[in-house]
Amino acid sequence: MAAAPAAPAAPAAAETVDGTEAVLTLLRDVRRDQARARAANLAFWLYIAGLALFIYGGWLVAAVVGALRHPPPAVPDTPLLLRATPAGLCALMILIVAALLWDTLWRGPVTVARPTADWLLSTPVRRDRLLRPRYRRAAAISVLAGAAAGLVPATLLLAAGLGGPTAGHSLRLMGAGILGTALLAMLVTGVAAVAEAHASPRAIRTAIRACALAVLLLAGIAALTAAYRLSAVIGTVLLWSGPWGWAAQGLAGLAGGAAPLWPAALGLLAIAAIGTLVAGDRSAAQVPAAALRARAHTLGDMSAAVANLDARRVTTAYRGATGSYGRARLRIRPPLLRQLIVPWRDVTALLRAPARFAWSVLLSLAAVGLGALAVRSPHAALLALTGALVFGYLAAAALCEAARLDGDDPRRSAQLPIRYESLVWWHAIVPCAAMIVLVGGPAAALAVVTGHAWLLGLVAVTIPVLVGGALVNSYRGPLEGEMFAGFDTPVGNSSGVTITLWYITGPLLAIAPMIVFYNSALHTGALRANQHGHAATAVVLSAVLAAWLGFIAARRARRLRSG
Amino acid sequence: MALSDVRPLLVLTGVSRSYGPLPALKPVDLQLAAGHCVALLGVNGSGKSTLLRIAAGRDAPTSGQVRYGGLPLLEDALVARTEIAMVGDTAATYPDLTVSEHLLLVAIAHGAGSAAPARVEAALAECRLADHADALPSALSSGQRQAMQLAAVLVRPRRLLILDEPEQRLDPGARRWLAGLLAAEKAGGTAVLLATHHVELADAIADEVLVLLDGDVIGRGAPAEALASLR
Repeated sequence: MAAAPAAPAAPAAAETVDGTEAVLTLLRDVRRDQARARAANLAFWLYIAGLALFIYGGWLVAAVVGALRHPPPAVPDTPLLLRATPAGLCALMILIVAALLWDTLWRGPVTVARPTADWLLSTPVRRDRLLRPRYRRAAAISVLAGAAAGLVPATLLLAAGLGGPTAGHSLRLMGAGILGTALLAMLVTGVAAVAEAHASPRAIRTAIRACALAVLLLAGIAALTAAYRLSAVIGTVLLWSGPWGWAAQGLAGLAGGAAPLWPAALGLLAIAAIGTLVAGDRSAAQVPAAALRARAHTLGDMSAAVANLDARRVTTAYRGATGSYGRARLRIRPPLLRQLIVPWRDVTALLRAPARFAWSVLLSLAAVGLGALAVRSPHAALLALTGALVFGYLAAAALCEAARLDGDDPRRSAQLPIRYESLVWWHAIVPCAAMIVLVGGPAAALAVVTGHAWLLGLVAVTIPVLVGGALVNSYRGPLEGEMFAGFDTPVGNSSGVTITLWYITGPLLAIAPMIVFYNSALHTGALRANQHGHAATAVVLSAVLAAWLGFIAARRARRLRSG
Repeated sequence: MALSDVRPLLVLTGVSRSYGPLPALKPVDLQLAAGHCVALLGVNGSGKSTLLRIAAGRDAPTSGQVRYGGLPLLEDALVARTEIAMVGDTAATYPDLTVSEHLLLVAIAHGAGSAAPARVEAALAECRLADHADALPSALSSGQRQAMQLAAVLVRPRRLLILDEPEQRLDPGARRWLAGLLAAEKAGGTAVLLATHHVELADAIADEVLVLLDGDVIGRGAPAEALASLR
C-alpha cells in the first residue's frame, strides 16, 4: 500500500506576506460583471425615480422653480413664523442628527456585505483597506441625503414669504439650507464612525433619546416664541448651542432673522465636519469584527425582507439588530390566576418596550384632538374623522405587539393550554383597556369642557373596533408567494393591489365602516343632538363590527397554525 | 411491564402523510402506553418529524387514525392541550420575556397557581438554567434554549411527552442528563415518543424502536433487535 501523502506544512507567521492587495484585486476582477450589472440597475432605478418625479411631482418642481424666480410675498403670519425660526430650525436639524444616529444603530456608516463579513474579516486582510472605502462611500451618500434634506426647511421658509425680495435672495436661502444640512450630515457621519468603533450601542441609543427630547422641547419653544414675544436672546443662544444651531444659522439669517454671523457659523460647522470626517476615517478601520458581522447579517435579513415586501420581518430584523429587547428592566409579578396570565404577558410586553407605549400615547392624543376637530368643524369633519380613526388604529396596533409575536410564530404559544385562535380574544383585553385609559382620559376632559357627554360613548364603542382591526393585521402571517405573481388585467397586473390589500385589510375593515357611520351622524347632527337612537345604533354597529373582526382574526390564526 | 399488558394511551393506525404527490410518511401503526417510550430513528427526511407532528395532533394525517386516550386526537381539545407536551427541534421564544417568565407563563396557564414560582425554580435548577433565570432568550446559547424548552415541559402537567431530536445542541454532559430526565419521566408514568439521531439515547430509554427510511418503517422492535437491523 502506498504511503499517504504528507499534508503540506503550514507556513510560519513570519513567512506570510500581506495579501490584501491581491485579495482586493481578485475580488474586483471576479465582481466586475456584477458591479457593471449593479451600476446599470442603479441607473435604471434613478431613471425611473426621475421619471416618476417628472410625471407626478413635476407640478411641485415647477412651483418651487416659480417660487424661486418670484418669491412669494410675506403673509400676515410671517412675523410669527420668523420669531419661531431659530427654535424650529434647530428642532429640524436635531431631527436630522437623530435620523443619522438611528441609522448608525443598526447599519452604521461602516458596513460590509455578508460574504465579506463571513469570509474576509477572519483573514489578515488589512481592515483599513477593506473598511475605509465603505466609510467614504457612506459619507458621500450621507452628505447627498443631508443636502436633499436641506431643501425642506428652505422651501418652507420660501413658501412662508421669508425668501427675500428677489430670486437671488431665494437662491442664497436654498444654498444655505443645502450647505448647512450637508455639513451637518458630514459631521454626524464622522461622529457615527467614531462611535461605531469606540462607543457602545447603548450610548448611541441614549443620544437618540436625548435628540428626541430636544426636538420636543424645541418644538414647544418654537410654538411659545410664535405665540408670545419671548426674548430674542433665546434664539441667539439656540443658534450657537451646537452644530445643529450653526447649520440653521444660514437659513435663519437669510430669512431675515437675527443671525448676522451666519457665515462664521457655517465656517465653524465646516471645520468641525471636516475634522470629524477625518477622525471617522481613522476610526473606520477599528470597528470590531463582531459588530461588522452582526450588521452584515442584519442588512442581509433586512434586504431579504424588503425584497419580499415583508414589513414585519423588516421590523423584527431591525429590533434584533438594535437590541430593542436588550434587557428586562421592568417586570411585574405574574398573577396566580390562569385567566390573567395572557393579560400579564401583554402588559409585560408593553413594559419591555416603553417607546412603543409612548408612541401609542402620542397617537391616541392626536386621535382625540382630531376627533374633537371633526365635531367642532363640520366643513373639515370627514378629513379630521379619518385622521382620528387612522391615528386611533395606529395607537391600537402599537399596543398589540404581544399578539403580533404570537402571529409571527405559532410555536411560541405551543406549551399553553389555550387554543391558538382563542389567544386572539385574550390578546384583545390589554390593548382595549390601555386604549380606554389613554383615549378615555382626554375624551372625558373634552366631554366636560364641551358638554358633549356622548363623546365618551363614542370612544368606548370605537376602541374595540380599532383593536379588532389591529388583531386582524397581527395574525396576517407571511406574504404568500403567489401574491407576487398576481394576474393580468386591462390596467396592469393585480399583484400590487393584492399585496396592498393584504397589508391594509385590518385597518380597512375597521376604519371604513366607522367613517361612513360617524360621518353621516356628524352631518345630520344626530350625535351632537344626543339622539338616543343614533347612540344605540353606534353601540350595536361597533359591537357587531368588533366581534366580526375578532372572528376574522381568529380564522386567520387558525390558518396560520395549520400552516 | 410489557406494552401489551397495559392499555395504550396513544394509538396510530395506518397513519400516512403526503405533501401533494410526495409521500412523507407511508402507513404506520404505533401504540404507546403510559410509562413507556418509543424512539424513532432514521436519517434526515425519513419522516420522523412528520410522525411526531401527527402524534401531537399538530398535523392531520392523509389517511389513518390517531387516537389519544381512546378518542380521536384533536389538537384543540382540552385534554390534548393539558396532557401532551411537545419539544420541537428548534426553540421558538418570546423575545421580550425572560427565561423564568417563559416558565411562569406556562406554569400559571396550566393552573399551577401559587405553586408556580417553586416549580419554575426547580425546573431552572434541573435544567441548569438557574443562573440565566433573568436573561432574555437572545442572551442564551442554542443549547440553553433547548434546555429552556425542556424546562417548560417540566413546569406543566404531561401524560405524553413528544420530543423531536432533543439531544441536538446539547453537550455530552447534557445528553447524559437528558437520558436521566427521560428515564425519570417514564418512571413517573409519562409516555415518551422520541425522534433522535442518538442511538445510545434510544438504546438507553426506549422500550420500542422504529427505524424509518423514506417515510417507511424498515425495522421495529425492542431496541437491541431494531438497532441490530439498523447496523
